Amino acid sequence: MSLLVAEGLTYVYPGGVPALDHVDLAVARGRRLAVLGPNGAGKTTLLLHLNGTLRPSAGRILLDGAPVAWDRAGLVAWRRRVGLVLQDADDQLFAPTVFEDVSFGPLNLGLARDEAEARVREALEALDIADLADRPTHMLSFGQKKRAAIAGAVAMRPEILLLDEPTAGLDARSARRLLATLEALEAAGATLVFTTHDVVLAHRFAHDAVLFQDGRIVGHGPARDLLRDAAAMDRAGLDAVEA
Amino acid sequence: MTPIDRIAATNRWRGRPLVEKALLGLGLLALALALPPWPAAPAILVVATLVVTRGAGVPLATWAKILAAPLGFVLTGAATLIVTVGDHGVALAPGGLAAASALTLRATAAIAGLLTLTLTTPATDLVAALRRVGVPAEIVEIALLTHRFLLVAGDTAQSMNAAQAARLGHVDWKRRIRSTGMLAANLLPRTLDRAHRLEQGLAARGWTGASLAVLRPEPPVSIRRLAAILALLVALALFGCLVP
Repeated sequence: MSLLVAEGLTYVYPGGVPALDHVDLAVARGRRLAVLGPNGAGKTTLLLHLNGTLRPSAGRILLDGAPVAWDRAGLVAWRRRVGLVLQDADDQLFAPTVFEDVSFGPLNLGLARDEAEARVREALEALDIADLADRPTHMLSFGQKKRAAIAGAVAMRPEILLLDEPTAGLDARSARRLLATLEALEAAGATLVFTTHDVVLAHRFAHDAVLFQDGRIVGHGPARDLLRDAAAMDRAGLDAVEA
Repeated sequence: MTPIDRIAATNRWRGRPLVEKALLGLGLLALALALPPWPAAPAILVVATLVVTRGAGVPLATWAKILAAPLGFVLTGAATLIVTVGDHGVALAPGGLAAASALTLRATAAIAGLLTLTLTTPATDLVAALRRVGVPAEIVEIALLTHRFLLVAGDTAQSMNAAQAARLGHVDWKRRIRSTGMLAANLLPRTLDRAHRLEQGLAARGWTGASLAVLRPEPPVSIRRLAAILALLVALALFGCLVP
């Protein structure tokens, strides 16, 4: 059974702008899923639905086969299991220091102070930023901010980690380091879903891929095959990976 | 980020307990205001300089530059004590020079005392500490968020300003005023948009509209250090009172 399923997901932004159009999607446990598409295709909107930040106009979402609920208790239970990292880390970091910011999620889970502190230390270690614990969030580099933002989600130990453009804006070496970290998180039990424009990266890193265009899924399958399929990639307005 | 913010976040005393730094900084400030300016003020200035440069590791030149900035206001105020305006025009005020010197010394020492606290303690630590003196958590959280937003909005404004300058938006006064007006008009919707996305980011980490609680490490207060600070303040007070 798939861990997270979206059925007929439809969303229209206030003002009438359609963003998702009957999207069906399944996230399998332990399979890295890349969501690809051009700008404005609806990738970020999809991620915001998958952890309950946005509520669909139509359709439903199932977690472990059970429909999710949008009431307070339902959202808390949902976000405990599905973490989200936004594309711009400055949209996520709000506390004065890295340590304080990463502690926000564990405290919202209702953990005791000692347990929350242990989670923070664990997440900082996992993201290789333990030395930045006391650093003001505003004095971090772009890559460090990304890692701090991911640590904030990882500290909640989600089963699924949704990442919006995790490598966007990073230099090649930082991107490689981050992907290695994500692999380690996956080995520890997290299922990764990420959006990206980078077809080559998705081809190399993802197990499965979904192609998005105008709020609709226009291709879905194993990344190695799908991203080489010129016709499918063309439907999504993307260039296929050369064989 | 201002130079003071940057120093406060990176100095060697950053991790010291706030109580110790507050006792020292506010103690020096109180002594500067209470004691006769001579010889207490120079002594306070020397102590503050040693604390900031030797203790917190702030370079002497940086300390001097930051200390000098408010002195412009002090000197302007002191200058008005030197002269008097009477029936015969402007003249030297009787005792004016002594009063101006005393004011300058006292104000410089007071600023130095206060700077020992502000240069070693980030503004966010000071705001967060307000909770301990009974300020409601909601007000403290709003103040901390506002501080964070000011920094981010400041960066955005700086980038927009550079982009305008690159497109000749600041070549003369007329265009500069127009560009600055457009920048201000654009900054507000951008900041509101960012606030909306921050709300989404917080919700993704389980925030349901209640407290924005975070773990704030609290280093243990050293009784020995507190006693040393207190002894230093008492010694300064005795020196200021007893030495003519």
